[in-house]
Amino acid sequence: MSEPITLDQVDSDGAIRETMDAVADDSRAGFLKKSMLATGGIVGGAAILGAMASPAHAQTANDVSILNFALTLEYLEAEFYTEAVNMGALRGEVLAFARVVGAHERAHVSFLRKALGSAAVGKPSFNFQGTTENQAKFKATAQVLEDTGVMAYAGQAPLIDTDAVLAAALSVHSVEARHAAWIRHINGAPPAPTAFDKPKTKDQILAAVAGTQFITGAPAMTAAGGSPSFTG
Amino acid sequence: MAALALLGLAFVVFVAVAYGREPAVAGPEVMLPAIPAAAPDAVPQVTQAVSGTYSRRLSNPNGVSRFMAVLREIEARARPADDARVVARLGTRTPEGTTNVVLALSRVDRSGRLWIKARLPVLPNNTVGWIPRDALGGYNAVNTHLVVSTRKFTATLYRYGKQIFSAPVGVGQSRWPTPAGRYYIRNKLTRYSSPVYGPLAFGTSARSAVLTDWPAGGFVGIHGTNQPGLIPGRISHGCIRLRNADILRLARLMPPGTPLTIF
Repeated sequence: MSEPITLDQVDSDGAIRETMDAVADDSRAGFLKKSMLATGGIVGGAAILGAMASPAHAQTANDVSILNFALTLEYLEAEFYTEAVNMGALRGEVLAFARVVGAHERAHVSFLRKALGSAAVGKPSFNFQGTTENQAKFKATAQVLEDTGVMAYAGQAPLIDTDAVLAAALSVHSVEARHAAWIRHINGAPPAPTAFDKPKTKDQILAAVAGTQFITGAPAMTAAGGSPSFTG
Repeated sequence: MAALALLGLAFVVFVAVAYGREPAVAGPEVMLPAIPAAAPDAVPQVTQAVSGTYSRRLSNPNGVSRFMAVLREIEARARPADDARVVARLGTRTPEGTTNVVLALSRVDRSGRLWIKARLPVLPNNTVGWIPRDALGGYNAVNTHLVVSTRKFTATLYRYGKQIFSAPVGVGQSRWPTPAGRYYIRNKLTRYSSPVYGPLAFGTSARSAVLTDWPAGGFVGIHGTNQPGLIPGRISHGCIRLRNADILRLARLMPPGTPLTIF
């Protein structure tokens, strides 16, 4: 297997921390305000799941924080697969995997955004550093991302306050586990290596995502002030 | 009129030839319901041989084009190889202080090392070069294309190949011509002090081939004006001038990174 992602590096330019602050810091007044705004959104989003989610349960700032954390991970995964398919470097079963899983991840993004409404964090910019443009690198990276996603949902599920949100999270969690098993099978790794999975905390997941350096700042292409020096 | 028609036809033929499509890749091997893509990508899947490897086209002015930030000072080369001739040296910032970006044209994988063929903001105009993938940031997509005719004095913006904006322009005088070629929008500037540029200015990768000693290298801008009565016509030092209402309208439709064709 070639070039797995290094997960113990640090955020290169702070961009991921900037993004994640909005997710992690649920104690700020602004975030609490967002959570209030999101209450109706979560109810509506949960209703999409029908029998799995009851819109009657109370909503909390904690649940909004967890859903935004999940949304950031889903943005990352959805963009990773979308770009990989568009870049044209994948073939055969790997391409089939990327197409199907990419559609799932985009559906997760859509669901979470709808559930969070105006409290949803924005989509960051990404630089996948060639891992979407080479099949071997893609396969190794996809396994890391899917394993990470499974551990992230497992780590957050016990912390969720509301049954409806918990049901929604579990419905995504099991699909992420299927993705992980699928790419592990493709990679020749054990699809289900242990009888029990060990969840990871939010901080552990954030550190892992930061280590990939996939989340970056967008190019700064506007400026104000000064005087242009164009030929006029 | 016949000449204009021929020019238009030549442009259409050029685009059609340059941006063909490769055969579709094999579909999924599992049976699942079709799910519409959330991020449609109209980039033609063209491949072309490059020294025994294959190059993937990344930009199509009639669909999606991609630009990338220059992450470190880097040399662009004539071929995707470290020993190839250097065609330009690129920095990370424009003269205006914004992120320096290049328009990604295609990509090649040479024994596991990725190279990006990019349009460059250097003289001579229309220069392209190969840059190591790891010297560039992520892909940023745009679906617009600005076409400026220095003969009809028009600027026309397309989105996915469909016209969404057109306005009269002023272009360079005959002694300081606006350079024909293919470029891209580098940045967008506002709230500057000079009224000559109107309320808003776009920087482009095009440069005057005549005014090479102009401050910052003589880059061609697309901007407003304090002399709207001169538009349309050959009135500038090479820049493309729009009436202020038009440049503001264009700014609402055209993101930086948009490919620019001047003919």
